[in-house]
Amino acid sequence: MTMSLSAPVASTRGSWVVLQTRLVANETGKGVRLMWRRRSMVVVGMAMLALNYLGITFFIGGGHVVEPLMVETLPALLAVVLASTAAVQGSGGIAEEIYGGTLEQAQMSPATPQVQILGRIAALAVEGLAGAVVLGAVFALGFGLDYDLHPAALVPGVLTVVDALGYGLLLAALTVRIASIGAITHVFNMVVMFFGGMIVPITVFPDALETFAQFVPTALGVQAVNTTMAGEPLSATWSDGTLPWLVVHAGVLVALGLVTYIVNIRHAQREGGLSPR
Amino acid sequence: MEAVLTENPASAGTAPGAAIELSGLGKAYGRGEHAFAAVRETTLSVPWGQVIGLLGPNGAGKTTTIKMICGLITPSTGSITLGGYDVARQRSHAVRQIGAVLEGSRNVYWPMSAWENLMYFGRLKGLRGSEVRPRARRLLTDLGLWERRHETVGSYSRGMQQKVAVAAALITDPPIILLDEPTLGLDVEAARTVKDWIAHLAADDGKTVVLTTHQLEVAQELSDRIAVIKEGEIIADLPTTELLARHAENRYEIRVAGSLDGNVGGLPAGARVEPDGSGTRVLLPDADSATVYAVLDQLAAADQQLVSVAQARPSLEAVFIRLLHHAGAAPTPEAGGEGTTP
Repeated sequence: MTMSLSAPVASTRGSWVVLQTRLVANETGKGVRLMWRRRSMVVVGMAMLALNYLGITFFIGGGHVVEPLMVETLPALLAVVLASTAAVQGSGGIAEEIYGGTLEQAQMSPATPQVQILGRIAALAVEGLAGAVVLGAVFALGFGLDYDLHPAALVPGVLTVVDALGYGLLLAALTVRIASIGAITHVFNMVVMFFGGMIVPITVFPDALETFAQFVPTALGVQAVNTTMAGEPLSATWSDGTLPWLVVHAGVLVALGLVTYIVNIRHAQREGGLSPR
Repeated sequence: MEAVLTENPASAGTAPGAAIELSGLGKAYGRGEHAFAAVRETTLSVPWGQVIGLLGPNGAGKTTTIKMICGLITPSTGSITLGGYDVARQRSHAVRQIGAVLEGSRNVYWPMSAWENLMYFGRLKGLRGSEVRPRARRLLTDLGLWERRHETVGSYSRGMQQKVAVAAALITDPPIILLDEPTLGLDVEAARTVKDWIAHLAADDGKTVVLTTHQLEVAQELSDRIAVIKEGEIIADLPTTELLARHAENRYEIRVAGSLDGNVGGLPAGARVEPDGSGTRVLLPDADSATVYAVLDQLAAADQQLVSVAQARPSLEAVFIRLLHHAGAAPTPEAGGEGTTP
């Protein structure tokens, strides 16, 4: 019997890199569309986080906003917004796809699991950064916070974003293996919130707690951002060890997240775990 | 790194050889004492353009087999090729040979519209947007979803959602379609639409279709060939007509014009005579050919005009149940031509 293939089956042109870029963009586009569909939930989540932050700030300030404190803790709030968005929506998205069977459909693609997860993370970055930018603008303008937006802050800023996304990637990767990841994600998010510098800068923690906090996602990044925004040069964050450890922290989280995702997808393929368990 | 898009997979659709080859395929879950063999040493070859029904009770291994073909479950033993591409070693080529609607899953993104889903799944297989759009338009039009293409799939009826899942599976026009319980949970009308589409895919588009369903009348109507799986093993694999013929019963139905009016005496024990419109029907529930000829001779002697003689054919459901309960008496596959049984 002859085959009737009137429509194209697949592209034959284009380099591997171009194809992979298109596949990443496709995943990102899907992620952004899905985010837009649940935008009301995203807005409510951001608002709750902002209210929590405001309440804590008033509590610490004895019923007043202490501006110098807010200047140092606001970057941590924005990092928490990004990290918690990446973690909750990343792991929630994977869990939803396992339940809905779309994770299986997505595997029937020339796009490798690592390409697909990169696309997903890019979408989460868009969602998290959009929320962070809005909240940052509201608080900075609303309370008249005075920031020195020094270009040197860009480097630790970008690394903090990578760190937060690496954290989200790791939790999304664990979701493939651990069905009840939701509770774990919330516990980790609370740790990031309390020890990441959102309540008080980690530099005021007792030594042992400060050392612990430096392992918490985004904490080192926020510390480096605050240092540079206070007018210190980037070299200062390097010499005090914050920046190099931030590079290592972000790199390890991203690498660990990618490897965990690939290993867990393979495990799921062996054990039939790509569909509801 | 695996080579990607070095040749047009469409050419595989006309490639010589089988569309699907399973060779010694097996899957076991767990280890040691707790190991459970879901699929055992299955060898199967499905030629291009054939519709094969994969039947079996719950837990027989149908879905595991389908998911191994899709590359979603890694086999413990054996190999799978799709259009000549090894699923394990040439995955990116192999997966572009197939489209699948899997059991118990949404298969598509309910918060996205039908149009967005088709664009996403087309691009997921490596197509460009300009390549996907005309096909998405055609599929949505043919399936009657064009007017509602921008509504979220979650707002559709169950039947429409399943149509979108079918369309997503077809968006790249793959030569092989895997349908795991595609009519499960659909109402009669929606099931009929999906069934008609499967028939259309096979007859008009020449697709190779692997179909699992518990609705045996659907399998009987659509499948060129039936493979029955029990406890992970294929216990029967024959062309549908041959499978039914092999299980034809020693039950005959003789129709004559007019009534018998006691003209015929000495019918075999168990024979029933029933009026049938203007004629009469003689049912012989357990008769060999000699008995049938004897009855025909009696009817001829009584000047009864013979209308027809037919051997009763069992339904696929009857054959299926018989096979499951008497696996040892299953049809031998050698005479089946295309199929093999381990």
